Amino acid sequence: MTEYFLCFVLFIIGLYAVLRKRNIIKIIIGLGIMEYAVNLFFILIGYHRYGRAPILAKEQVISNMVDPLPQALVLTAIVIGLAVTALLVAIAIRLYEKYATFDITKIRELKG
Amino acid sequence: MNSLKPKNLNTLKPNKGMTLIVKTITRLTVGLILLYGIYIVLHGHLSPGGGFAGGVIIALSFIHLMLAFGKEFALKKLDELKAGILESVGAIMFLGIALLGFLGGFFFFNFLNKGKAFEFFSAGIIPLCNIAICLKVGAGLFMIFLVLITFHSLNQKKIK
Repeated sequence: MTEYFLCFVLFIIGLYAVLRKRNIIKIIIGLGIMEYAVNLFFILIGYHRYGRAPILAKEQVISNMVDPLPQALVLTAIVIGLAVTALLVAIAIRLYEKYATFDITKIRELKG
Repeated sequence: MNSLKPKNLNTLKPNKGMTLIVKTITRLTVGLILLYGIYIVLHGHLSPGGGFAGGVIIALSFIHLMLAFGKEFALKKLDELKAGILESVGAIMFLGIALLGFLGGFFFFNFLNKGKAFEFFSAGIIPLCNIAICLKVGAGLFMIFLVLITFHSLNQKKIK
């Protein structure tokens, strides 16, 4: 139970960074932390005690594996997270070129 | 050491890229990183790893080159046009493998000989799919990095 709570704490740290920080780069890092907290939560759901990695090797008896389904889901989520981070960084670069600042409180003009 | 001969010194100018230490270490390690990525891709059907992980490592070897030697040196090895073509080839190859499955009946049908398990030449179309994904991911990640850098410099010129 404690590990799920710690996942939640990690998620809250990311949420704090997204909501409270003013620097766009820190907001992107906060989004990354939230994403990894969710990934960690999925992996921990699939884990059970003394479980082995779900990899079939030569001359290995399949016994006591952890659940491979969350791992496959998280693998896909990591790929999507990479694309989302690249998109956010691109938007941050364009904003910096337009306003010459990363501070979101100084980015006020809605048009033009 | 071949890498420390004086004829190579014209590429080691201090104004391009990082310092001499970083450049020398990069020269020694970048080939090993590329080979490790290729190993991960080719053994994707036997051990953990596969197309995505190997493609990321291959792209990181080129990014490593770019960080140490500057943009022009890495673009000489793999420019935007070549990377775009490789990316498209990867996507078309993956789709082609999937469509060839209709020879056996359905999408993604494993029509090749599967061989014995845990041997290098086995698992039918899965190694080919891994190579296609590796091309797509490696070239795509390199392109993302490149575009994030070059867009910046292009627009900076436009403003001034």
